[in-house]
Amino acid sequence: MMRATLVLLVRELKKWFGRKPVLVMSLLTPVLWIALFGKSLNLTNMLMPPGSLEGISPEMMKILEEMVTARLIELFGTTDYFTYISSGMLVVFAVFQGMFSGISIIFDKRLGYMDRLLVAPIPRLSIWLSKILAVAVRVTLLSLLLLAVSLLLGMNLKEGIGVIDLLASWSYIVLLAMTIASLYALLSFYADNQEIVFAAGNLLNLPLMFTSSAMFPVEQMPDWLQKLASANPVTFAADLVRYHLIGRPVGDYTAELVKLVVIALVMLVVSGWASLRWMNNR
Amino acid sequence: MRREECAVETIKLEKTYKNGVKALKGVSFCIRVGEIFSLLGPNGAGKTTTVKILSTLIKPSGGTAYVGGYNVVEESSKVRKIIGIVPQDLTADDEMTGYDNVYVQARLHGLSRNEAKKKTEEVLEFMGLLEAANRKARTYSGGMRKRLEIAMSLVHSPRLLFLDEPTLGLDVQSRRHLWDLIRKLKMEGTTILLTTHYMEEADALSDRIAIIDLGKVVALGSPEELKARLGGDRIYIKPVLNQDLISIKERLERKGYEVSILNGEVIVKVKKAEDSLFDIINLLRDSKISSLRISKPNLEDVFLELTGRKLRDEEPLDSFRYRIHSMRVRR
Ligand SMILES: Nc1ncnc2c1ncn2[C@@H]1O[C@H](COP(=O)(O)OP(=O)(O)O)[C@@H](O)[C@H]1O
Ligand SMILES: [Mg+2]
Repeated sequence: MMRATLVLLVRELKKWFGRKPVLVMSLLTPVLWIALFGKSLNLTNMLMPPGSLEGISPEMMKILEEMVTARLIELFGTTDYFTYISSGMLVVFAVFQGMFSGISIIFDKRLGYMDRLLVAPIPRLSIWLSKILAVAVRVTLLSLLLLAVSLLLGMNLKEGIGVIDLLASWSYIVLLAMTIASLYALLSFYADNQEIVFAAGNLLNLPLMFTSSAMFPVEQMPDWLQKLASANPVTFAADLVRYHLIGRPVGDYTAELVKLVVIALVMLVVSGWASLRWMNNR
Repeated sequence: MRREECAVETIKLEKTYKNGVKALKGVSFCIRVGEIFSLLGPNGAGKTTTVKILSTLIKPSGGTAYVGGYNVVEESSKVRKIIGIVPQDLTADDEMTGYDNVYVQARLHGLSRNEAKKKTEEVLEFMGLLEAANRKARTYSGGMRKRLEIAMSLVHSPRLLFLDEPTLGLDVQSRRHLWDLIRKLKMEGTTILLTTHYMEEADALSDRIAIIDLGKVVALGSPEELKARLGGDRIYIKPVLNQDLISIKERLERKGYEVSILNGEVIVKVKKAEDSLFDIINLLRDSKISSLRISKPNLEDVFLELTGRKLRDEEPLDSFRYRIHSMRVRR
């Protein structure tokens, strides 16, 4: 099982690295997002009193500034939105990368390569597993790159951050990516054309992203959105990763962790089981 | 119930696809160890469906099949170990090099890194692809891609090889090349299942043929046996002088041959022309003969006789009607 999975995983990665333009673009996209989106939205400046407001005493100004800062810290855990958003981006891109399991499966089916794999003397689950793990590896590499770029652009990690924090963040990001990859894998085994996968991507990615705490804090959302966000695995991952990377407090660490792990396990089991079923019943 | 001598045995195999198409309606045959066995039939006959079931890609809706003694449904993983398959549609990964395509197959079949490397180079060389090995499969020509498919299916030295319409779309030269290769594999002891809708191909390569139509085997036997169903070969004899026709006819009839005269030629109906030719020439050694030719019924004729339809729309190449021109028989 592990042997076949490894052979297939190497194939996936070799293909990814083999297409240089695709590789460069897929690395550049998140970097641009972080650099442009993260930097253009400067909340601290936005929330300062308007320049037209005259006659404010310096004491008053100081109070206003303190208010804004306190509110920002309350919501974002930092006065610096860039730090908030770049930690969220790590999670968002894990979601985006999840789609590649599906695309890869669809192409293997289209090219007939899937038939080759299905007549090879290997456990068929390893075909599915290699797609999920390929996403995990991609996300790992992308996250490292993203983190490096974010730090260059001024992201502030929490004080006294340790190896444990980094490892924990990495596991949560990868766990989320595998959850999403499971979803797309399941979809792609049963779908017979690639458009379904792209359509599902367009349909799911934005809601997953915006009904979570990845971009904006849940606390300032309307009620109904808060409900959605509190069931979204992206929220759990984002909250947990932020806690470890930038030190933003998380409501109930254990609860969020348990929910993230349970959702991931359920998705993985369902996806693996259903994919195997597709392979075995034709 | 399965028989030991069969490398592949199907018993009343049925397949109904999810959309309701009945592709197989009880297909039974036995492929003997070491032979080249062909499924010959028109498009849609159920050849690919049969191969897919035997290679464990799809499940039969009824009946059973054994490959190498293993049940294709219950022991599918054992079946996959011993077979190589060249599917009708291409399966190589365009985005990988020829080398990687073959190497991954070798690794998936359990070869160690070193073994896989060695075998990959070996089959690529055998298939004449060593030079193009490091190019992406996308850049290969049609013939090269087919050879790559074969390399991918041979890298683990399978005991049984399934070839589904392997020469479809190949030019004449590549086709001959492939025929030689198939014969070579047989010599090395590989049992081969070949599907084709070219009757010349089935005739030239097969030890035995199952003619399949609309999901059923309509005839099974060696090419000679199948053709013998049409009553055998005909030998056409043209004397130099027309007045000799009668005497030639009578002389042959006295020896028990079935003879008729048509368009200035004496026609002798025999079981197998090769076996009777010497005897006939011997009988006619005193006559002045201007030409002598043999006509053999082909599998196209057999299919027509069995189903009332043609094997395919185009006219088949006339490669099995040979002529012996101006063969003068003296003294
Ligand atoms: N996946 C499928 N779904 C539905 N019908 C199919 C499928 N594959 C083949 N068929 C039908 O089954 C019949 C036999 O097809 P096939 O086995 O491909 O024949 P051949 O290989 O002899 O040309 C045809 O009528 C074909 O249309
Ligand atoms: Mg076919």
